[in-house]
Amino acid sequence: MSRALLRRLLGAGLLVGSLYCGSVALAKAGSLEEMLAGQLTASDPAPLLGPITSAGRTGWECKPERAAAARAWQAADLSAGPQAP
Amino acid sequence: MRVALLVLLCTAVSGALGYAQTYPMQTPVPRTTSLPALQAMAVSREVEERFRLGLAALGGGQNAQAAAEFQRIVALNPGEPRGSTAHYDAALAYAHLGRYGEAAQNLHAALALDPGFLAAMANLVAVDIARGDLTEARKIADRYVALDPDSARALYSRGIVALRAGDARTARDDFGKLLQANPAYAVAHYDLALAEERLGNDAAAERELRTALTLAPAYARAQLALGALLLKLGRRAEARDQFARASHDANDPALQNLAAAMRDSITI
Repeated sequence: MSRALLRRLLGAGLLVGSLYCGSVALAKAGSLEEMLAGQLTASDPAPLLGPITSAGRTGWECKPERAAAARAWQAADLSAGPQAP
Repeated sequence: MRVALLVLLCTAVSGALGYAQTYPMQTPVPRTTSLPALQAMAVSREVEERFRLGLAALGGGQNAQAAAEFQRIVALNPGEPRGSTAHYDAALAYAHLGRYGEAAQNLHAALALDPGFLAAMANLVAVDIARGDLTEARKIADRYVALDPDSARALYSRGIVALRAGDARTARDDFGKLLQANPAYAVAHYDLALAEERLGNDAAAERELRTALTLAPAYARAQLALGALLLKLGRRAEARDQFARASHDANDPALQNLAAAMRDSITI
């Protein structure tokens, strides 16, 4: 086999290899971005409010109804999310 | 001496009578022989007892048993407020069982009996989201906000539904209003940032994410979102730092792996 042919074969091999690696890298980057987009979603829905006794929702003692109307997020029993420092 | 004994005796008797008058009998004796009235008393007694059993079962995680107790109360047609309350509690038991369709039916029934029942609306929005019905969730959330525009839960719930349904404008308004009353609520800053980013307001989104991270420095989802935003803006080194922080702080393995992969994919 001549040297020139060997050089050409090697060059072609390198070209095919780099094209393959490039396409794999691009596909990986694409799927990473898709995964990232999938993670950037809204927070979880508010957790369910608790049970109510037979006295019903009226009255100051009904905690779920008070939470449903509260202005402060803590009194509304919303998720704290990650802990503050 | 006799007089003194008499006074002592009288005092003791009057004291005993006083105690007897202070503590009435716990269960009043029915003062009727009417059959319908006696039947109504029996039903009322059964409703009370089933509420007690149902709430105890809910508290102990026996949700199927709890649902059965509350459904029996519903079948007894106890009148208000016990009817809407039984539907509400039954819905809670079904939701814990993952039977969201039955939970939603019961919450609708509770609202039909008591249209101003805010806790039922709040739970119905969460149940509708869980069963993937964003249209219905939005309807209920709109009603909830209309009835109580300052309720933190109403604003949060509609904001989440709006974000999930692609209505970034409503989400921005609701989280913005929620933050006026709760400026230190990191979760709302994160969701407001998502809404701003979707509306093309990248600077506002970055500001909200940075505020969320000032309030909660280990908030991995906010770090990841900020990394993605910075990457979009071409600030690769800063983006890489945020992904590195997210990879370090995330508790969720999926989030942690993704953040690490994003960090490693950025070459400066």
